[in-house]
Amino acid sequence: MTRAAAAPGRRRVALTLGLWLLALLAGATLIARTHFSADLSAFLPASPDARQQILIEQLQSGIASRTIFIGIEGGRDAAQRAVVSRAVARAMRDSRLFDLVQNGDTSDWKDTGTWVFDHRYLLAAGLTPERFSAAGLRDAILDSLSMLGTPAGNALKPLLDRDPTGETQRIAEGLIPASSPRSEEGVWVSRTAPRALILATTHAAGSDLDAIALAIARVQGAFDEATREMAGDGPSLEMTGAPVFSVQSRDQIKGEAIHLAVVGGIVMGALLLLAFASPRALVIALLPVATGVVGGTAAVSLVFGEVHGLTMGFGSTLIGETVDYAIYYLIQARGAAVAGTGWQRWRDIHWPTVRLGLLTSVCGFAALVFSGFPGLAQLGVFSIAGLVAAALVARFVLPVLAPDGATGMGMRRQMAQLAGFLVRGLPRLRWLLSGLGVAALALVLWQGGYLWRANLGAMSPVPKAMQSLDAELREDVGASDGGTLVVVHGSDMQATLRSTEAAGQRLEALVDKGDLSGFETVTRVLPSEASQAARIASLPDAATLRSRLAEATQGLPLPAARLEPFIADVQAARALPMIRRADLAGTPLDAVVGALMFERTAGGWSTLISLHPGASFDPARLAAALDGLPDVQVVNVGDELSGLYKRYLRDAFVQVMLGALAVVVLLAAWLRSGRRLLAVCLPLVVAVVLTLGGMAALHVPLGILHLVGLLLIVAVGSNYALFFDQLRETGRADEDTLASLMLANLTTVVSFGLIAISDIPALSSIGRVVAPGALLALLLSAAFARTAAPSGSGPR
Amino acid sequence: MISGSKIRIERWGRALAALMLSWLFASSAWAFDLPELMGLLAQQKSGEARFTEQRFVRGLEGPLDASGVLSFTAPDRLVRRTLSPRPETMSVEGNTLTLSRGGRTRTLALDSMPELLGMVEAMRGTLSGNGQSLQRYFRSTLSGSATGWRLDLEPIDPRLAAQVRSMRLSGRGGEVLGIDMEFIGGDRSVMAITPERGAGTAAVPSAPSAASARTTP
Repeated sequence: MTRAAAAPGRRRVALTLGLWLLALLAGATLIARTHFSADLSAFLPASPDARQQILIEQLQSGIASRTIFIGIEGGRDAAQRAVVSRAVARAMRDSRLFDLVQNGDTSDWKDTGTWVFDHRYLLAAGLTPERFSAAGLRDAILDSLSMLGTPAGNALKPLLDRDPTGETQRIAEGLIPASSPRSEEGVWVSRTAPRALILATTHAAGSDLDAIALAIARVQGAFDEATREMAGDGPSLEMTGAPVFSVQSRDQIKGEAIHLAVVGGIVMGALLLLAFASPRALVIALLPVATGVVGGTAAVSLVFGEVHGLTMGFGSTLIGETVDYAIYYLIQARGAAVAGTGWQRWRDIHWPTVRLGLLTSVCGFAALVFSGFPGLAQLGVFSIAGLVAAALVARFVLPVLAPDGATGMGMRRQMAQLAGFLVRGLPRLRWLLSGLGVAALALVLWQGGYLWRANLGAMSPVPKAMQSLDAELREDVGASDGGTLVVVHGSDMQATLRSTEAAGQRLEALVDKGDLSGFETVTRVLPSEASQAARIASLPDAATLRSRLAEATQGLPLPAARLEPFIADVQAARALPMIRRADLAGTPLDAVVGALMFERTAGGWSTLISLHPGASFDPARLAAALDGLPDVQVVNVGDELSGLYKRYLRDAFVQVMLGALAVVVLLAAWLRSGRRLLAVCLPLVVAVVLTLGGMAALHVPLGILHLVGLLLIVAVGSNYALFFDQLRETGRADEDTLASLMLANLTTVVSFGLIAISDIPALSSIGRVVAPGALLALLLSAAFARTAAPSGSGPR
Repeated sequence: MISGSKIRIERWGRALAALMLSWLFASSAWAFDLPELMGLLAQQKSGEARFTEQRFVRGLEGPLDASGVLSFTAPDRLVRRTLSPRPETMSVEGNTLTLSRGGRTRTLALDSMPELLGMVEAMRGTLSGNGQSLQRYFRSTLSGSATGWRLDLEPIDPRLAAQVRSMRLSGRGGEVLGIDMEFIGGDRSVMAITPERGAGTAAVPSAPSAASARTTP
């Protein structure tokens, strides 16, 4: 009878549902077109200093983002692994998906060797006029002769007539890294494990995940092909490196997010069914959740142009909070005196509390939005958009679909009884809980900064096992990672190359002293044009050279008459065009240049010199050796990364504190009572302190994502605290409100509990903080409720 | 009773003595073998020696002469310091090979070049008396006796065999006195080694003590 008046009007119903479906559709369309990224660089600052900028450029697009480490492990024996290694490497080279494939097989360097030999007088670093004086020639020839009649002699003898000064050999020595992998059966192998090694650089940029995925699939395909006949005793394939991790993370986080959503959905569905005994209620309860996830993802996509995999994984954590809105509505809108008016009663009595809870959450997460770290800002935008969308659905769509909330009773009476028991019993434990809180606070303060000792690696979505395999393969290959880099800047390529050569000369002195066992520099294959011109100018004409050779070879068993081919080659070299970058295209040397030299996005050029520290390596001596070269910087990757992370953690602390402050200010403005404010805040503070204390007692290293988790405790917990405040103020603790709190808490704890056991470290660290924290927030809210709820069953 | 037991003890004693005698006799009749040579070599923990080397290289007019100092420090440090005709140092320690010449120093991982690793392990195996390490890379034939032995080595690894045809180490007691190498293609190198006086005095007593040790097992 009054239904038509009380229920929302037909037009409004249509409008609400229409708008909602339209928004949902738009969000879904946006998501379908969204690019998902997974590289950790999203968690690097957007406004770094100069050194950090280099590091970030390298992580995003440098050689590190394109290098794949491949292990061929186990199987029958080393010979079998070598066969597989050769077959896989050959297929990879033929695929043209890789710029460089190295497996220790030197046969593919043959053409390169010829090219180096032909250009030796442009490449030879030590080529000065003195080297081609009679005395210099004699020393050089003696050095070459000293290698004859030794095991290395057969390789050098054929070159003797054309290169008696051994320039080719010296260049080759420079190109072989000081820390090469072990070689067995003609291919690279591990020193510690039964494993053959392949090192590959993808042609595609590290950010082009689809192309990288294709390259990885090609490796897998080549491996399957090579081992097809080997049945049971074939080796297994391992792949690590940034590109592999990016693709894996993308897939894994996607998979994990879906997995969590499905398992969480099932568990939560079961809980909701128990509570409502109505499938319809279950479907309605999940609507705000789905809308929240779509809204959050779409908002991030709109603001940032892409969605980080971690943000998506984080989306599954939102299920726990957004489902609460539906639970509050479905239970609290029940029992209206007039059918169809339940939603109005809910809107008047409970919505203000839910709205306040929403606003406090939004305040908390707003702090993250202003973070200088794109990854963290994404989490903030996602949370805010997701929560607002879910709350809007609860406020406007659910009343249309279920004007009187959920009808069934299910197990709610038992839940309410349990809740009532807790509400009556917990305040007795107030002092015990306070004592625990004080103890936890003492422990947290005592551990201080030590508590926050997790590093940047802990944020990585890459599982621990893969991280350690990666470290092993890097060690096997002798890749200098996390070590010290020398970075050279210049306004143009030639200036950069000249500065690089100047740095190289200083480093050469450290190599002679043993501080370095070697270094890799681009100028060994692409010298500056100035150096090339100087080398050409050092070469004497044929007549001069002939007479100097006659003098130099006096008394030596190598007659000058045999060296006419040498004189001819030197004359030919004087007419050679300079080596330019384009001349290297398509050769393995091009990949070497690409790895060590790049054009800056901000303009100008940079080169990297990667160092192989020797036994007596000393960073101070390195810095001193390079002192006075204005364009040259020493970057310690480990130091810079940990410095970045420290700054990151500090910023996150400030943001979280600001968020917490905003929450308090908002609550104060709403509650307008110091007593009520304290009553609402105290349980939250104690919940956070107890969670931290628990982490400290369990020796869990905490990081930024734990910090975000603490913010979530406040966001979720503030809802509970506000409901207890509402109960105190209205003096009514009805079964339904208590049951809705119990159920909301149960679903939150379950969903974050699922995340806590996730394989992705970043997600599990959030779950491990929020699951216990949310439970504590409810229990403490009940325990610190000043006016104990009236006993007995509340009004029905 | 007493005399009976005495007789029995005497008989036991005589049998035992005969047994010991035959054992002694048998042992002295053993040929000089690789484990024994390795035992002798193992007693010399370190040493320094001067060397002169002559290399005969096809296509060159006359031999290449070199001389310098060799030193070995157990278990794995081996240094060859050439003084003439040009100063040059090659040292291996563990898995690191360091080459210095003409004022430049280069470091390489030894096991990244299996051919070189085989050569170095053979040298180190011989000098430290590690027969296993030697036999991993070479087939060996030992001739002579403790007072003058020759160890002929032939590479097993095909990569090394493509460069080195054979090696012959010769010596006396625990001292290596010569290394001859023959390479594929006909080049040869002959090295004579003279233990340094300082190190030699330390090395000399080891030979007789080794010789006496041989007859006491």
